[in-house]
Amino acid sequence: MAAGEFLGFLSLSWQAIVMLVVGGVLIWLGVAKKVEPVLLVPIGFGCILANIPLGGAAEEGGFLAVLREAGIHTEIFPLLIFIGIGAMIDFEPFLQRPYTVLLGAAAQFGIFGTFFLAYLLGDGWLHLLNFSLQDAASIGIIGSADGPTSIYVATTLQSKYAAAIVVAAYSYMAMVPIIQPPIIKAMCSKEERALKMPSVAGTISQRTKILFPIITVLVVGLLAPKATPLIGCLMFGNLLRECGAVERLSLAAQNELANIVTILLGITVGGMMAGTEFLRPETILVFILGIIAFSLDTVAGVLLGKLMYVLSGKKVNPMIGACGISAFPMSSRVVQKLGLEANPYNHLLMHAAGANTAGQIASVVAGGVMLMLVPMFS
Amino acid sequence: MLNALWIVLLGMAIIFAVLGILLLVMVLLSRLVRPREKEEQKG
Repeated sequence: MAAGEFLGFLSLSWQAIVMLVVGGVLIWLGVAKKVEPVLLVPIGFGCILANIPLGGAAEEGGFLAVLREAGIHTEIFPLLIFIGIGAMIDFEPFLQRPYTVLLGAAAQFGIFGTFFLAYLLGDGWLHLLNFSLQDAASIGIIGSADGPTSIYVATTLQSKYAAAIVVAAYSYMAMVPIIQPPIIKAMCSKEERALKMPSVAGTISQRTKILFPIITVLVVGLLAPKATPLIGCLMFGNLLRECGAVERLSLAAQNELANIVTILLGITVGGMMAGTEFLRPETILVFILGIIAFSLDTVAGVLLGKLMYVLSGKKVNPMIGACGISAFPMSSRVVQKLGLEANPYNHLLMHAAGANTAGQIASVVAGGVMLMLVPMFS
Repeated sequence: MLNALWIVLLGMAIIFAVLGILLLVMVLLSRLVRPREKEEQKG
């Protein structure tokens, strides 16, 4: 037996070396910089495991490949994560301000704008890159600012770039505090950013909170059926939280289920970052298009926010439109911080959280709509 | 390219339609539920 067959370092390719460094950087970002550590540490470690030559962790039969088949290709992991997310989200700020659902809808423009751009660069017009309609839709869905939705759509559409898309989606969610502020500041004057909104809104009855997840599943499921698995799991988790009868299940969904699936999902996504497949020019383009998606989301949300500002007689702070992006709760924190910078007495957090949770629902609907429309026009 | 444009236009239209209907339903629900709770409190 040749030494190269059992000594891993003799089989190291430059791609594997680069990806081992990338894995290390992801872990460093999570541990030292506290950037989404819950996700980046497992992803980084999975990336290292997948790029150790002869290790076989991510090759057929390896444990990462088995997890990928069982959890990602079957779409089980993102759906289970959504049960946990649903159990963690308090939709009260949204229910107190239901109009914010329109901000959530507007902020999904990043998905469709980026999809269009990716398709133009690929098979749609310029043929510069190998982006099919399905790939373009999967790249656009990075703009959902929602990891599970990105995984679900990219794997359902069988995109070649699923790994890069998922990593981009999670990385940019962590980078929302860097991406959004310059755009918001460029679009909103100091006077607009300083605008206070009433802090006390009407209370929401327990009955409304229980009916909300059921009604949402019925409305979204009947109008956009492809979104049913995602919205169903999200709202099931929320029903466990709000019904008050199954506290044990609610806590299990928020803690044990969410934590276990996050570990498995993170390490599996990292395991999809094998250098030979990941290091392609298209991957860099996927990351660039991802930033464009997040930026377009923010621009579209703020534009509708500005329209509401005018129509309401300056009662709606246009910045909360930026929270229509689903990156919860990072986006709400960004707007709260910018509001306080412009006016030390301006607390926008609950308004921003309303738009942010609305964005969570809107991004799931957008994913379902994409899954419905792409096969129709392929 | 036209098919992609259709996806963009239809996609945004469907999202606004679905969420607009959800908004209407939630507003209706809040009006239907609240009075009953007030009655319960009075009782």
